[in-house]
Amino acid sequence: MKKFILFLSVVAITNSLFAQKKTTTSAIVRFDASTSIDNMPKAENKTVIAAINTTTGSLAFEATVKNFSFSNPMMQDHFNGPSWLDSDKHPTFTYKGNITDLSAVNFAKEGVYQVNTEGALTIKGVEQKLVTPATITVKGSSILAVADFSIKLSDFGITGAPIDGGKVTKEPKINVSAELK
Amino acid sequence: MPEQLKKKKPWVKRILIAVLAIVVVLSGIYWYVATEKFSDTKDRKADYTVNAIDFIREFEKNQKEANDKYKDKIITVNGIVSEIEAADTTMNIKMMDTVSKSIIIFTFQEQHLSEPKTVKAGDAVSIKGSFSAGIFSDILEVIKIDFKRSALNK
Repeated sequence: MKKFILFLSVVAITNSLFAQKKTTTSAIVRFDASTSIDNMPKAENKTVIAAINTTTGSLAFEATVKNFSFSNPMMQDHFNGPSWLDSDKHPTFTYKGNITDLSAVNFAKEGVYQVNTEGALTIKGVEQKLVTPATITVKGSSILAVADFSIKLSDFGITGAPIDGGKVTKEPKINVSAELK
Repeated sequence: MPEQLKKKKPWVKRILIAVLAIVVVLSGIYWYVATEKFSDTKDRKADYTVNAIDFIREFEKNQKEANDKYKDKIITVNGIVSEIEAADTTMNIKMMDTVSKSIIIFTFQEQHLSEPKTVKAGDAVSIKGSFSAGIFSDILEVIKIDFKRSALNK
C-alpha cells in the first residue's frame, strides 16, 4: 500500500513538472527591415520552437534561419549568404531569457497580462542582451505570448552596402508570437 | 575644324546609344530579378522523394551530411501526419518519428495555405516542399527538419 501511494505521488509530481513547461513548434517570428527605398526585406518564420516554464518564468526560442521565407528568390539567397546571416555556419537564432516580473502574470487565471522580459538573443554567433515588454494571454490551457521590439544589425556584426545605401534598415522591427500548450 | 568635329560626332552618338542600351538592358535584368516570385512548388520537379522516417534517420545519423545533401532542394516526403499545428491563421503539418520524437514540419506556400485543413492526424500524405534545414533543438532535444513553400501532393 505504501509503495502504491509512493508511486502515485511520483506520477503526480512528474505530471505537475511537465505541466509547468509549455512548448510549441509553430511560433512565428516576423522581421521587417524594409525602407522607403525598398519594401522587400521582410520575412517570416512559422516553425520557431518556443518554450515557457510557468513556474520559473523562463523563456526560450529557437528559429531555423533558412526557414525565414521571402517572396523573392534573390532576397532569400542574399539573406542566407555568407555576407549576411551566413546560415550554413549559423543555422539558428536563439533566445534564452526570463519574465522578470513573474508576479505580474497568473498562469492559472484567464486574462491578458503585461510583463517584462530580459534575456540573451544570439544571431550569427553573437549574443546580445535583449530587454523587452511582452503580452501574455492565458486562455484555458494555452498561453499566447507576443512581443515587438527592434534590434541593431550592427550589434550582431551585420553590415553591408544595402544598409549603407538605405535599402535595408539599420534597426529592423521584430514581432514574435507564440501559442504554447 | 568644323569638318573634323562633324566626323567625330557619329562615333560619340554611337557610343552614347550603346551605353544607353546597356543601361536599359541591365535595368531590365535587375527589375526582373528584384520582382521575381517563387514558382508554385506543385509545378516544380522534386529532386528527391523520401519516406519520412528514413529521412529523419539520415539527419540523426549525420546531420551535416544530410543538410549538405538536401540543401536548397525540392523534396517530396511521404509519411503519416502526426499533428496539424496552428501558426497564427495558417496551419503547419508535422510528421514525427515516434521512437526518437524527431520531427519534420511543413509550412505551406501562399496558394496552398488551405490544404492542411483537408488532412488530419493519422492520415498518410505526400507533401512536396523546399527543404530549409535540419537542426538539433536544444529546447526539445530532438531533430527538427523544416520545409517552406510546401504543397500537398494529391
